[in-house]
Amino acid sequence: MSLTPVRSWLCLWVALSISIAGAQEPGAEIDVVRLEVSPGSFDLSGATESLQLVVTAFTADGRVYDRTHAAEYVSRDPQVVTCSQGVVRPVGDGRAIVEVRVGNQQATTDVSVTNFDSPQPVSFQYGALVALSKQGCNAGACHGSPSGKGGFRLSLRAFDAELDEYTLLREELGRRINLVEPSQSLLLLKPLMKVSHGGGLQIHTTDPAYRILRDWISQGACVDDDDAPKCVGIRVFPDGNRILNGVAPSQQFSVIAEFSDGTRRDVTEVAVYSSSDTAVATVDEYGRATGHDRGEAAVVVRYLEFIESTILTFVREVDGYEWTEVPTNSFIDELIHQKLRKLQYLPSDVCTDEEFLRRVYLDLIGHLPTVEQSRAFLSDAAADKRATLIDTLLERPDYAKFWALKWGDLLRLTKGQVGDDAVYKYHRWIERAIAENLPYDDFARQLLTATGSTFENPPANFFRTAGDMNDCVETISQIFLGARLQCAKCHNHPFERWTQDNYYGMGAFFNRIQRKKTRRANELFVWSSTNGEVTQPRTGATMQPWVPAAGTLTEVADDDRRKTFAEWLTSSTNPYFSKIEVNRIWSHLLGRGIVDPVDDFRESNPPANGPLLDALAQEFVEHEFDRKHIVRLILNSRTYQMSHQPNEFNRDDNKYFSHYWPRLLTAEQMLDAICHVTGMPETFETLPVGLKATQLPAPDLANHEFLKVFGQPERQTVCQCERTTDSNLGMAIQFLNGPLIHNKVRSDANRFNQLISDGKSDEEVVNALTLAALSRHATQDELVASLEHMESKRGQLLAENSRQEKALDDAQSSLRVLEDQLREKVQGLRVDQVSEPIREDVRRALATSADQRTDVENYLAEKFQSLKTIVEEDFGKELPEEDVKRWQDATAQAQDIEESILSVAQIRVVGLEDICWVLLNRNEFLFNH
Amino acid sequence: MIETRFVIIACFVLSQTASLLAAETVSFSRHVAPILLEHCQSCHGPKKAEGGYRVDTYQAALEVGDSGAAGFVGDSVDDSEAFRRIVSDDHSERMPLDGDPLLQEQIDILRGWIESGAAFDGEDPEGKLAALVARNDQPNAPATYPFGVPATAVQFSSDGQRVYVSGYHELTTWNVSDGSLVGRIPNVGQRTMSLDLSFDGAWLIVGDGTPGRGGTVRVVDVAKQAVVRVLTACGDLVTDVQFSPTGDQIAAATVESGLKVINLADGKEVATIASHSDWVTCVAWSPDGKLLVTGSRDKTCKVFDVSDGDLKLTYSGHGKPVRSLVFHPNGEEVFSGGNDQKIHRWKIADGAKAAEVGFGGEVFELALAGGFLYAVAGDGTVAKVNLEDNKRVAEFKGHEDWPMSVDYHEPTNRVVSGGYDGEIRIWDPDEPKPVTAFLAKP
Repeated sequence: MSLTPVRSWLCLWVALSISIAGAQEPGAEIDVVRLEVSPGSFDLSGATESLQLVVTAFTADGRVYDRTHAAEYVSRDPQVVTCSQGVVRPVGDGRAIVEVRVGNQQATTDVSVTNFDSPQPVSFQYGALVALSKQGCNAGACHGSPSGKGGFRLSLRAFDAELDEYTLLREELGRRINLVEPSQSLLLLKPLMKVSHGGGLQIHTTDPAYRILRDWISQGACVDDDDAPKCVGIRVFPDGNRILNGVAPSQQFSVIAEFSDGTRRDVTEVAVYSSSDTAVATVDEYGRATGHDRGEAAVVVRYLEFIESTILTFVREVDGYEWTEVPTNSFIDELIHQKLRKLQYLPSDVCTDEEFLRRVYLDLIGHLPTVEQSRAFLSDAAADKRATLIDTLLERPDYAKFWALKWGDLLRLTKGQVGDDAVYKYHRWIERAIAENLPYDDFARQLLTATGSTFENPPANFFRTAGDMNDCVETISQIFLGARLQCAKCHNHPFERWTQDNYYGMGAFFNRIQRKKTRRANELFVWSSTNGEVTQPRTGATMQPWVPAAGTLTEVADDDRRKTFAEWLTSSTNPYFSKIEVNRIWSHLLGRGIVDPVDDFRESNPPANGPLLDALAQEFVEHEFDRKHIVRLILNSRTYQMSHQPNEFNRDDNKYFSHYWPRLLTAEQMLDAICHVTGMPETFETLPVGLKATQLPAPDLANHEFLKVFGQPERQTVCQCERTTDSNLGMAIQFLNGPLIHNKVRSDANRFNQLISDGKSDEEVVNALTLAALSRHATQDELVASLEHMESKRGQLLAENSRQEKALDDAQSSLRVLEDQLREKVQGLRVDQVSEPIREDVRRALATSADQRTDVENYLAEKFQSLKTIVEEDFGKELPEEDVKRWQDATAQAQDIEESILSVAQIRVVGLEDICWVLLNRNEFLFNH
Repeated sequence: MIETRFVIIACFVLSQTASLLAAETVSFSRHVAPILLEHCQSCHGPKKAEGGYRVDTYQAALEVGDSGAAGFVGDSVDDSEAFRRIVSDDHSERMPLDGDPLLQEQIDILRGWIESGAAFDGEDPEGKLAALVARNDQPNAPATYPFGVPATAVQFSSDGQRVYVSGYHELTTWNVSDGSLVGRIPNVGQRTMSLDLSFDGAWLIVGDGTPGRGGTVRVVDVAKQAVVRVLTACGDLVTDVQFSPTGDQIAAATVESGLKVINLADGKEVATIASHSDWVTCVAWSPDGKLLVTGSRDKTCKVFDVSDGDLKLTYSGHGKPVRSLVFHPNGEEVFSGGNDQKIHRWKIADGAKAAEVGFGGEVFELALAGGFLYAVAGDGTVAKVNLEDNKRVAEFKGHEDWPMSVDYHEPTNRVVSGGYDGEIRIWDPDEPKPVTAFLAKP
């Protein structure tokens, strides 16, 4: 009873707080000092066009608010246009001023209307096909799939208007279109679900797309004249990046298509919208984005093959948040902090020396520091010891060997694809390039223009693994341009600007490459011929060499077109080249790319910190593509050296680098680390002893089960994603009872057995193991716990020993009894062989003790003495099988018990095995953190 | 609460509609079924049976769905769950869900039908709604067309003086000599896909339908120039019809992957053969009337024995959908045309291909007479092919758009071809220029 009033009071309180929160939003409260309307002027043609206005309010503190849906609109010329909710619609020919008011601010826009009374033909391409794209009819999962759906196939997102014309108008005798009663067209009845449609309800009669399709049909379903104006691009507003504040701020977009005759048309209601991060923001079909969480999202706008995007940053006041100045080591930290501050995150503290030590070894040379190296670094009091360590590691040959593994993944170094001898040569070339810090532009140039024998000039193997024009285009774009281009082979890229023409245009640089086998096995000779053209398979056009941003190149090297491509690629002004590589380096060191995945640069996948990516790329260019410089710069940043422990104000960040990103060791790192901790190196097939897993030239030279389980890539693709980072059951099993770890931990040649024989104490051994596995001293607690465990283990095992000793006594005495029985049985059996007349006499003689025998018995006993001589082997020879088995079982049992009794030394080893196993299973070991 | 609200609505509806319905009793076939078909069956049909409820037959519409209530209950509007949902003002359950609500006059029809007992007035209460509706009298054709409609079927009259052309919900009849409109035969499906005239000239059969909705075979009494019977009906277009050589039976090919053989006299379906995996697009009888050959969008032709429906042979030579077929008068060979832009000449005994004739587009229709084969194709040509050597002996050019249908009249030696744009051309097969050309657009 007494609960009721409380509950209703609570309800009231909740209702009140909601209304208060609501009042803060579409904030009539904000103090608007300036209002802007986009577009400022526009020409509408015909009765069906409309115009989406976007109203932006600026406050005194410089904040920006979209007020499109909160503003008041007044048409000063209502006989020309009306305006409601920011949409201007024509009423008659003339010029009009639309007035927009927010608070006490106002702004205006000029709109002219012409051709109001003359019917405007609906274009096939810019009307009907746009409408079908808007409703998703030609999406890849629906009728845009290569074989269509339900016998109806459209080109993917309308990239092939000619095919769509045939399908819509003519296929199946014009079944889909009804010119007499347009609304009875199957094309409309199906998505309306007036006729069964596998895809369900996809259009409403109130949708703009419905009106467009119906009008297009009622005008005769005409296709466009060849000389009809073509769309040349779209303009999206807001076009720059925009920061939006508040709890659930929204932003209306406007999209204007520009045509070759200079006209413009508002296509906001038929453009297609998507968000790069739907947790941060979503966009509705009318082009209105709504923020759900703080962060950044790219709003991608598509109109046929035209794509533009705007990055929206959503900022929200976090309770109790206050930026505290954090020291910076370089521009990296400054730019990271700027972004964090904007989004109200706080960077984590700097990590400990121990964490840094382990981290930097794993990231730079792939394996853990030795116990001695760890001790030396940790006891070093120098203030700049981190920087010194970075410099030292960068000069170690292991650095080049480890980073050659990363490039080996990308360049697909396998025995299978490169050949048995060549794979070593190719690997050595990469390793040397890294060791000598070959400038990245030289590195790329040497690969992309490689000519000659794959033995004499190892980078020529690039064109061995990229074995044809398609492979070259896809490999090069993915590695050097950060773009996945595979889909453009058959159709325009569904999410990006890349078109099929672009694909084959790039192909024109690489289709002249010739590859010929030589007389030496596994050798290939690579060169470029001076003729050969690429034909676009859909249009049949001969493609001119084309590159992104610069377009079709007119001056191309006659002798080898690749030279021109490499020149363009490595030019300091190339917008892709340097960014892709610095981002790749960043992702290797920080666990996640600024653009992520690293080979998927596209507008719909914006960088987590654009200014940082730009600055790093700039730095890279200015330092003549010095990769070590970039690595050193990143490693010395506070950002790299942050703790993986989040704080109260960055716990939910996994994108903007507010804390270090812990990650599972890679397959090769893991194996090397296990070998290192146990002191039991692995040998890979015929490869030299001592070679580490992180230094393998190719995975198929080792064929190592453990590595495969932990995600070592087979190097079948150029995608960095082939190296899987997800944990799986196989990994857990390896660590629970896999043979690899078991054998190393149980081996008497391993690290702690060695330490024992060197006379080290338990404490010293535990500390050494901890240093080896975790690159830090064991804590006092850990030491105590370890020693306690060993002690209790010792107690257990000693108790077990005494139990076993007793069992052994028992087993041995029963064995003796059994043996006596069996001896008697053997003797009995032997006597049975004696000739009948004297058999019983012999038996008696043998059974009688010597002092009580008669002479005859004495004689017989001596004569048949050998019958009494029974050794253990005789059991097996003379007894029936079951007796033999009994004896063997009893013997084995006694032996087993005897063996299970551990010596004191053994007991100590068992305790240390436990300690080692536990260390290997700790997250602190498994993760680079 | 719900009940009260419902009663209020019911009273309101009743007062409005009582007068409308007094005039005539509501027919399930003519009034109710079209509403269920258009507005309900897409979600409550054989492909999707939302809520465990279907309306694709009369019987099914009366059944109980997952809600536990029957869709329609005679004399009881209150117990008819489907009706309750149609008139509900709760957006979460109002049918059609997400779609526009039914119009008041449609609701009135349903109410009137329920109140008059929710009876069935067709032949088979378990027959498909689509077929039931397709049999209904068809809407009137518009007086004039805004555009020409595809001439998907053309047929000379017996005397060769007129030509029947597929119209919109009608057949139009045109004077061959001057291209003037001489008659309109109403009560035909939205589109006519095929026409065939009986040998005595008394009957014209029409294969027609509305895409995605239903189709029929209709019989026109030539003397009366009117549709007199609906022979059969199905759920999508009838694509091709042909009289048997004896004239007493009709073979009909349908989009629903079937082939039907129907008696002209009593409309009885003597055989239904469903052997193709996709639309059957064309059908032809052998000259002796013992075999039927069909072509399909499943890329094959099939030969059936008419007596038992046995499949004798499958011809897969086209590799693309098959569009058109004719038997050679020798009864041993078939000509088939398809999307592979070829006519194949092949033997029915073993499916061996004897010849190919190439075109630049889909081969839509074939007509054979007087030792020549006439073909129309998507490259714009009407071609005359000599049966002796499979060579083209003449090509008739000039169609503005794809010619899609063709017929030949032997006594007057005239060819008629109909285009996608509705243009009709009459040709003398020995002259390159048309005798007459006109747009078959009232």
